[in-house]
Amino acid sequence: MSLLSLIVVLPLAGFLVNGLAGNRLGKGFVSAVGCGLPIVSFLITVKCFLDLRAGGYVPLVENAFTWATIGKDAFGISFYFDRLSAVMTLIVTGVGSLIHVYSTGYMHEDKSYARYFAYLNLFLFFMLLLVLGKSLLVLFVGWEGVGLASYLLIGFWFEDMEKARAGKKAFIVNRIGDAGFLLGMFVIYSTLGTLEMDRINAAFSATPIPAVSASLIAVLLFIGATGKSAQIPLYVWLPDAMAGPTPVSALIHAATMVTAGVYMIARLAPIYMNAPEASQLVAFIGAFTALFAATIAIAQTDIKKVLAYSTVSQLGFMFVALGVGAYGVAVFHVYTHAFFKACLFLGAGSVIHALSGEQDIRRMGGLASRIPVTFATFVVATAAIAGIPPLAGFFSKDEILWYAFASERGGSTLLWLVMSFTALLTAFYMFRLVWLTFFGRSRMSHEVEHHVHESPRSMTSVLSVLALLSAVGGFVSIPHFLEPQLPLPAVPDAMHHYEPLLIGIAVAIGFAGLAGAAYVYGGTGARAAGLRERFAGVHRLLYDKYYVDELYDLVIVRPLHWTSEIFLRVGDRAIIDGTLNGMAALAQRAAGLLGRVQTGSLHFYALLVLAGMVAVIVWSWRHV
Amino acid sequence: MDKTQVLLSLAVALFAIGLVGVIVRRNVLVMLMCMELMLNGVNLSLVTFAHQAASNVGAVLVFLVFVVAAAEIAIAIPIVLLMVRHKRTLDLSAYTDLKG
Amino acid sequence: MIETLLANLDTLLLYLFAACALVGAVLMLILPQPMRVALALISTMVFLGGVYGLLGVHFIAAFQVLVYVGAVMVFMVYAIMLLDVRDSAYKRTYSKLVMPGIAAGALFFAALAFGLWKALPDSAGSAATPAAGTFGLQQFAVAFLSEYWLHFELTSVLLVAAVVAALAVIKVSAASGAQSPLGTRAERKGGSDRG
Repeated sequence: MSLLSLIVVLPLAGFLVNGLAGNRLGKGFVSAVGCGLPIVSFLITVKCFLDLRAGGYVPLVENAFTWATIGKDAFGISFYFDRLSAVMTLIVTGVGSLIHVYSTGYMHEDKSYARYFAYLNLFLFFMLLLVLGKSLLVLFVGWEGVGLASYLLIGFWFEDMEKARAGKKAFIVNRIGDAGFLLGMFVIYSTLGTLEMDRINAAFSATPIPAVSASLIAVLLFIGATGKSAQIPLYVWLPDAMAGPTPVSALIHAATMVTAGVYMIARLAPIYMNAPEASQLVAFIGAFTALFAATIAIAQTDIKKVLAYSTVSQLGFMFVALGVGAYGVAVFHVYTHAFFKACLFLGAGSVIHALSGEQDIRRMGGLASRIPVTFATFVVATAAIAGIPPLAGFFSKDEILWYAFASERGGSTLLWLVMSFTALLTAFYMFRLVWLTFFGRSRMSHEVEHHVHESPRSMTSVLSVLALLSAVGGFVSIPHFLEPQLPLPAVPDAMHHYEPLLIGIAVAIGFAGLAGAAYVYGGTGARAAGLRERFAGVHRLLYDKYYVDELYDLVIVRPLHWTSEIFLRVGDRAIIDGTLNGMAALAQRAAGLLGRVQTGSLHFYALLVLAGMVAVIVWSWRHV
Repeated sequence: MDKTQVLLSLAVALFAIGLVGVIVRRNVLVMLMCMELMLNGVNLSLVTFAHQAASNVGAVLVFLVFVVAAAEIAIAIPIVLLMVRHKRTLDLSAYTDLKG
Repeated sequence: MIETLLANLDTLLLYLFAACALVGAVLMLILPQPMRVALALISTMVFLGGVYGLLGVHFIAAFQVLVYVGAVMVFMVYAIMLLDVRDSAYKRTYSKLVMPGIAAGALFFAALAFGLWKALPDSAGSAATPAAGTFGLQQFAVAFLSEYWLHFELTSVLLVAAVVAALAVIKVSAASGAQSPLGTRAERKGGSDRG
C-alpha cells in the first residue's frame, strides 16, 4: 500500500482497534493508538507534501481499487493529492492530531474513553476520504461518513436525551442538504458521464463548456454545502451540536468538517466560475449568514454557543470569498480559522474543565490570573479572529474584505460594508466573551471557585501550539500558494489605490470592537445592564436566536408531523396493515371452513373419494 | 346383452358395493372385507378384458392383485388388532382423533 | 328347447354364477354380523371362481379359491372370532352416511355402466371370443418366468415386506403393554373400570 492510501487507512485502523477491543486494552494503549496513528498520518502527509513539491506540484494520483464497474464506467476509489488537498490534508491531520492529544487530557475521566477515540479516528478517516477522494463519489462517501461521525460524537453522551436529540437534529438537517448534493451529482453524471473531479473540472474549464446549466449544478451542490457548512437556512444544527464533548466541537464543528462545503466548492471551482448567478447566491447567503449569526452571538451566554455562532459567521465569510471568486482566499480562511477557532474551542474546553462543567459566562469572570495559560492562548486566538494585525485572522479576513469589495466577480461596496460591519460585530462579541470570562469580578459560586485549576499539560501544550499557529499562521500566503490551481479574481486597476485605506479600516474595526467590548463590559458591568435594559426587545430577539428553531418547528416540522399522522392512519394502518390483516383473516376463515371437511371420520373420507371418482368419470365422458 | 358387458357390469357393481360398504358399515372388519370385494371386482374386470382380448397380461395382473390382497390383509389385521387394543372397539366412528 | 338350453349351458351358468355373486355382495351390505358378512364374501368369491372357470382361465379360478377363500378369508374369520362379539359395532351396523353413501355408490355405478355401454357396443364383445385353449397354465407360467419375471420377483419382495411389517406391528403391540385383544376381553369380563 502506498503513502496516500496509508494516510487514509491509518485512522481507520485506529477506529477498528479502539472500537473493537478498546475497552479491554487500557487507557494508555487507547491513547497511544488513538493519537499515534493520526500523528503518523500527519507525518506521512508531510512526506507526501515534500514529494509533491519535489515533483513540481504535479498532482499525485493513487488508485486504491476499483469499486464497481457499470457498463464502461469504472468507479474507483482513487486518491488525489494536489495543492488544494495538500493544504486541507495538512490541516485535517495536523489540527486533528493536536486535538487528539488534547482529548487525552480532557476526556481522561470519561468511562467511554475508548469509544470516544474510536469515533474520533473514524471521523478522521472519513474526513481524509472526503479531502483526498479523486471522484465525487468518494468525496460523497466521506461527506456522509463525517456526518455519521459527527452524529455519533454529538450524541456521545447519549444518556442525556437532549444531547441525543441534538445529534439526531444534526443528522436530519444534513440529510436535507445531502439531497441537493446527490441531485447535483446525478446531473453531473448524466451530462458528463463521469464523477472524477479532475475530469469535471477539465470539462468546465474547456471551451465550449458542457451543454448543461452550470448554475443548476452549482446551486444543487451549494445546497449540500449549506447543510454541511451550516449556512442559512440549514445552519440550525451547528449550535445544538455543541452538546458533544468540547474537543469534538473544536475538531468537527469548527476546524474541519464544517469547512467541507468550502473545500468542495473550491475543489469544483470551474463549475462556479461558469455560474455567476449561483456564485452571487453563494456570496449573498454567506454574507447574510455571517451577519445573522454574528448578531446572535452578541447576546448568547453559553461560552460554546457564542463560539458556535461565531463559527457559523466565519463560515459565512468563507462563502462570501467563494462567491466573489476568491477560492484560494476562502481556503486561506479555512486554514487560519482552523487554528484560532480550534484554539478558542479548546480554550473554552479548558475553562469548562477548570470550572467543573460550568458553561454560562454569566457565572464566570476573573479567571485571568487563575488559569493563565488558557487565558493567554484564548486572548491570542480572540485577537486573531477579531482581525488584530499581525495575527492570522487579520490576513485572511482582510483578503476576504478586499475581494468582497474589489473582485470583478461580484464584489461590491455594499457587500464590503456588510462584511465589515460583521467583522466589527465579530471583534465585539469575541472581546465581550473574553471580558466576561477572564476579567472583572468573579461571579462563580463559592464551590466552583474553590476547585478552579489549570488544565493538565496535555491540554495546555496543545493550546500553546495552536495559539502560536494562530499568531504566525497568516504569514503563509495560502492564496498565493494555490494560485496556479485556483486563480484569484481579477481586480480593476482603479480599485488598487483603495487597498491601503481598506486595510486601515479593517485594522480600525478590530480595535474598535476591542474598545467597544472593553467599554461596555469593563468596570462593574452596569453599562452592559443598562444597554440590555434599553434594547430589551432586540436583546430578547437575539437571545432567542430570532426564533428560527421555533419557526422551523411551526412551518416544517409540525405540518410534516400532521401529514405523517394522516399517512400513518390512512396509508399505514388502514391500507397496508388492513390489507395484510384482511388477507390473514381471509386465510383464517377459509381454513376454518375447509377445516370442517377434516372430520376425522374415515367413512366421510371414503365418501369424498367416491364423489371424486364419480366426478372424474363424468369429466372423462367429455374429455377422453 | 352380451357376455362381456354383463361381466363388466358385474365387476363395476362389485366395486361399487364394496366402496359403499366401506362408507356405510361401522365395523372395521366388515370394511376390510368390503375392500376385498372391491379387489375382486377389479379382478373380474381384468379377467374379462383378458378373455376378450385373448391376452395373458390380464391374468398376470390378477395374480399380482392376489399377492397384494394377501399382503394387505396380513398387515391390516394386526393394525385392526392394535386399534382395538387402543380404544377397545371395532366401531370406526370412535376413531376421529384426526378431526381438524 | 332343451337342446338350445344345453347348447347355451355355459352362458346360463355364467349368468347364474354372476347373479349369485351379486347377491352375495349385496348381502355383505345388509348382514349385521361380521361372520355372516365373511360367509357372504366367501360365497361371492367362490361364485366368481366359477365365473373364471367358465371363462376358461381355470388356474385363476383355482387361485381364487386357494388364495382368497383358503388363505385370506380364513385369516379374516380367525380375526373375527378373536374379537369381542358384544362390541358396539356389532349392534349398530351402519354409519351416519348410509343414504349419501348409497346414493353416491348408485351414481358411481350408473356413471361407469353408462360409460361401459357407450364404449362397448354389443357386437364388439362377441366378435372376438377366443378359444379357451390358448390361455392355459402353461402359457401363463412361461409368460411369468420370461416376460414378467421382474414383477414376479417384486411380488416376492412385497410379500417379504408385508411379513416384516406384520411382525413389526405385532412387536409394537407387544412392547406397549403386552396385552392381547383377548386379554382386553378378559379384563372387560372381570369388570374393568378402565374403559
